Amino acid sequence: MKRRAPLRHRSILAALAASVLLLFLALPTLTLVARGGASGVRGIFGDAELRGAIALTVLTATISTLLAALLGTPLAYWLARHDFRGRSLVQAILDLPLLIPHPVAGIALLILLARGSPIGGALLAVGIRVVGTPLGIVAAMLFVSAPIYVSAAREAIADVDPRYEGVARTLGDSFRASVYRVTLPMAWRGLLAGAVTAWARAASEFGAIVILAWQPRVASVLAYDRFTTFGMREALPVAAALLILALVPLALIRALGGERRAAAAQRL
Amino acid sequence: MIELRNVAVRQGDFLLADASFAVEAGTYGVVLGAAGAGKTTLLEAVAGLRTLERGAITLGARDVTALPPEARRVGMVYQQALLFPHLDVAGNVGYGARGAAIADAIERTGVHALLGRDIRTLSGGESQLVALARALASDPRVLLLDEPFAALDPPRRAAMRRTIRDWQRERGVTVLHVTHDVNEAALLADTLAVLDAGRVLQSGAATAVFAHPDSPRVAELTGAENVLAGEAEPVEDGLVALRAGALTVYAASDVRAGRAHAVIGADEVVLSARAPASSARNSFAARVVACGGSGSLVRVELDASGVPFVAVVTRGAARELALAPGAAVHLSFKATAVRIC
Repeated sequence: MKRRAPLRHRSILAALAASVLLLFLALPTLTLVARGGASGVRGIFGDAELRGAIALTVLTATISTLLAALLGTPLAYWLARHDFRGRSLVQAILDLPLLIPHPVAGIALLILLARGSPIGGALLAVGIRVVGTPLGIVAAMLFVSAPIYVSAAREAIADVDPRYEGVARTLGDSFRASVYRVTLPMAWRGLLAGAVTAWARAASEFGAIVILAWQPRVASVLAYDRFTTFGMREALPVAAALLILALVPLALIRALGGERRAAAAQRL
Repeated sequence: MIELRNVAVRQGDFLLADASFAVEAGTYGVVLGAAGAGKTTLLEAVAGLRTLERGAITLGARDVTALPPEARRVGMVYQQALLFPHLDVAGNVGYGARGAAIADAIERTGVHALLGRDIRTLSGGESQLVALARALASDPRVLLLDEPFAALDPPRRAAMRRTIRDWQRERGVTVLHVTHDVNEAALLADTLAVLDAGRVLQSGAATAVFAHPDSPRVAELTGAENVLAGEAEPVEDGLVALRAGALTVYAASDVRAGRAHAVIGADEVVLSARAPASSARNSFAARVVACGGSGSLVRVELDASGVPFVAVVTRGAARELALAPGAAVHLSFKATAVRIC
């Protein structure tokens, strides 16, 4: 009996600590919804600048996610299936954007892509301007979100037993066909969840974008601009609209997770 | 035919080293080995799913060492069915199907009734049948089986064995089947290769490998339960005496003097209440240590002057002899039943 009481106390303390953290995470969002939810919905329909910023955010985040999927899926496959020299270097390159402050990422991209740099100069020479354009926004979004997609895709592919590909190959598939016909269809939920998470990360990016492309304004930059220029009252609808935008991928990820659990339960 | 010549495959710390053996065209080859011996690695090397460190593999008349799996025309069935979960049964069976082979595969395996089913609703046995149908439907020249019956109940296992054996004989296809099950190997194998710790210890006609194991390890792996180590000494023409502990065992052999092993099958050991009046050269008083087993046979562990033996007798004989731990009996076996290696 003597040992049970401290255990119960510890459980109560743990529950209290968890509640404090959960409240800390939920309250700002709930407050924002309560104070600005209605104005956010109104803003989406009535504020042309906000509508334009959201459209730009959705478009650039979608392009960046498609690029991450197109370029990142082969890399994720390679990481999931092969143990190779330099693997930890590749992994470090993928982890870096997640660890550095995003304005620092923006500065690094600016140095790389500004007109004075070799790459920026070469791009300008063929008529491609990155800084201060939607292309710059896509570049900033890709930099911060591609590692998230690659990491999720690597896990999803690693979850598919490579012997499935082996069986497909003995049944006549080339390596490429076995990946397209077996591995990717089996990993699609994980790949889609990774893409949705990467999209959400891209859509919510501010730090790198604000340095690389202040204009045209995506929703996060518009929220910051309105807050610093006009104050809370003007910033609130934009912030609330961004929050609504973030709920869409959140719901999608939850739905995918639910489907995965249901599929797993059905297998048991 | 399937021929491996000095095949070496590395997989992490494991090395399948210099595997060489051949299975004649249209026959059934079995690779027998314990878990971790490298059986699956060997099979995957034949399928082209593992890169060889060295060596060569011939399928039919063609050296396929450099060919990718899809160009080798092999069918592969693993212990786990590995059905593609995003396809239904029909989608799985038809995945790599060629011509009329699909209808034949469906008929032989009896999976008609399953064709529209979601694979997640199949039992383990049904899944394995579908996996077999999928492999047969691709009309392979060589069928590779990785312990395909291990997860099946005995009646289904027997039925599936028959299906594969019939298909193999009728189509003249070469099969390579890996298993740890000695009985399965004895039932199916025309050719037997014994694999241990990444090395092929012995290969050849199955009857010859079972009857004349090259080494005590092969004898153990091929199910010989009595392997006695000792000093052999020729005593007369064609007869050898092997001193193993307190016993001298006589064997019909022309082996030279020196360290050797005597191998006696458990089914060759005869038990009797008194010393037998038969012609058996080897007869020893023994005590029963343990006996047990299900079905019609009883496995009896014995101690003969400190040397352990195993015998298999019918349940009726066990009753007659009143076999129980501590009971005194005589064990005997013929000199011709002893293999020296």
